[in-house]
Amino acid sequence: MAAPAFLRTVLERRLSEPARVWWTTTAEEIARGVSTNRFCALLSLASRHAPTDALQASAVEQDQATRTVPGLNLERWTLRDAARVGLITSRSDLHDQGGVSAILEAFRFADEGECCALLRSLALLPRGEDYRWQAGEGCRSNMLSVFQASACDTPYPAEFFDDVGWNQAVVKCLFVEAPLWRFHRFDQRMNADLARMALDLAEERRSAGRQVRHELWLCLGGHEASRSHDALRQEIAPDNPHGRGRSAAAYALARAGAIEELKSLRATESDPQVAAAMDDALAGNTDASRFRLLDPESPE
Amino acid sequence: MRFFDAHIHMTSRTTDDYENLAKAGVRAIIEPAFWLGQPRTSVGTFIDYFSSLLGWERFRASQFGVTHYCAIGLNSKEANNESLAREVLDILPRFLLKEGVVALGEIGYDEITDAEERAYQEQLRMAVEYDMVVMVHSPHRDKKRGIIRSLDVAEECGLAMEKLVIDHNNEETIQDVLDRGAWAAFSIYPHTKMSSERMVEIVKKYGPDRIILDSAGDWGISDPLAVPKTARLMLESGIDSSVVEKVAWQNAIDAYGASGQIDAEGLLKTPVVDQTQLYADNSVLRGQAPRMDSPVPN
Ligand SMILES: [Zn+2]
Repeated sequence: MAAPAFLRTVLERRLSEPARVWWTTTAEEIARGVSTNRFCALLSLASRHAPTDALQASAVEQDQATRTVPGLNLERWTLRDAARVGLITSRSDLHDQGGVSAILEAFRFADEGECCALLRSLALLPRGEDYRWQAGEGCRSNMLSVFQASACDTPYPAEFFDDVGWNQAVVKCLFVEAPLWRFHRFDQRMNADLARMALDLAEERRSAGRQVRHELWLCLGGHEASRSHDALRQEIAPDNPHGRGRSAAAYALARAGAIEELKSLRATESDPQVAAAMDDALAGNTDASRFRLLDPESPE
Repeated sequence: MRFFDAHIHMTSRTTDDYENLAKAGVRAIIEPAFWLGQPRTSVGTFIDYFSSLLGWERFRASQFGVTHYCAIGLNSKEANNESLAREVLDILPRFLLKEGVVALGEIGYDEITDAEERAYQEQLRMAVEYDMVVMVHSPHRDKKRGIIRSLDVAEECGLAMEKLVIDHNNEETIQDVLDRGAWAAFSIYPHTKMSSERMVEIVKKYGPDRIILDSAGDWGISDPLAVPKTARLMLESGIDSSVVEKVAWQNAIDAYGASGQIDAEGLLKTPVVDQTQLYADNSVLRGQAPRMDSPVPN
């Protein structure tokens, strides 16, 4: 097997000449078949050839990636991630137990950067179900880089996590304040249990006098209608100084179908940013990806 | 002034220590793999320990703006459990090429047994094969003989002397180490190894070349601030700041930089904690004055 064309293109354009030669030779070596020890060593050696500069994929390159793997977002990949994922996907035996075993062995001995690259590669691998436990471990990590490589910007969790794993990853994301809107197919994985967990967390935070993470309101949908409604009303109240939370609550009200109430709140809204969120939500833009607009880390 | 602690076991230390290191100007550290106090009984616990040096501990350090490097190796004490040592040596190469591994270490002698020597030799050969720096722990008992033997065996195994750091030196051993062309590290460690005052005298006598300071801070009564404290005492004793800078910063970078794993320019920049990678708003870089009450006692 060869690495996907979009990855090879991205790497060819960015690696220095010596690094490009190393990568190409190494990818060919891996494709011909290498021992697991050698495979792991080559993944490590990538750190000596490919820098950790942001990949900065162009719109066209991202589009090619999305067409190959729907839901794969290269926005926060580094060049080193791309080089490693390219090497991992160069294996010719990924459909066989031998290939799976080598990937699992690489996980076992992975350092932080290798672990992130392995997690990013999962959405590109056949036999995705064989890596469920590794992806779950990634979400259990307290290293934020590892957690996010497993949970964010990849279609893997939505496809392979059960509800317990999914809900735990979502709520952990709120705890560690990672961007929840980066969970692919978030809206398709909504469930009543998640809404309940989110509402419990909101109450716990409010009891403790702490701010509620604005993305928590993404988790409600139409579930737990009366509790949700009460919590959102409290959040969107004009005396809440947390503007991002109020904007998020506006989207959440629309997501729960409370359009008439949102319209009447809009009529008296004085904060221009909250008003803009209300307008956006009333125009029907209510999917989870809209929360990108509320992400302080995300340049729009 | 900025400092490099070239030997400290942060796994055994608390976040208070990280906070104090950062405040005192310790920008970078090396954590060598060592004995955990309790002997290990299976290779899996070594694998997890090495992985934690590369993963969790480095992440923890980064939360405080401290750059964490490590050395990976089978320590001399546990080399005496020969069947376990065999298994550890077999998996060791898996870790040697990882990011941030600046040396093979700390290895060498404890009781100077045959088993220790075999493990030491095998690891020296690995270091030659992987073109690595070696950090040698010198024994507490029979130290001088242990150090001379460490030097001899390293030479026999073909290790270039500029890739050899002998640690835990004292007044009696420094000359042998320097004469061979190796680096001489000193662990400023209360009550057993070396005190700040004695270190001042050593630097006055020998100058700064190929001398490296470290704290060897671990689970014992030790002082993670030993490097900045000793540097301060050196300055107060009239030692030139360029000399202090060498032994408390630059020499460690020069010695371990041979690994290709130290971004010397990056270390000069004011540490910035990547906010997107910050766990639960954990940050200590708020510019308070370091807590530096007294030099390390003898
Ligand atoms: Zn030590």
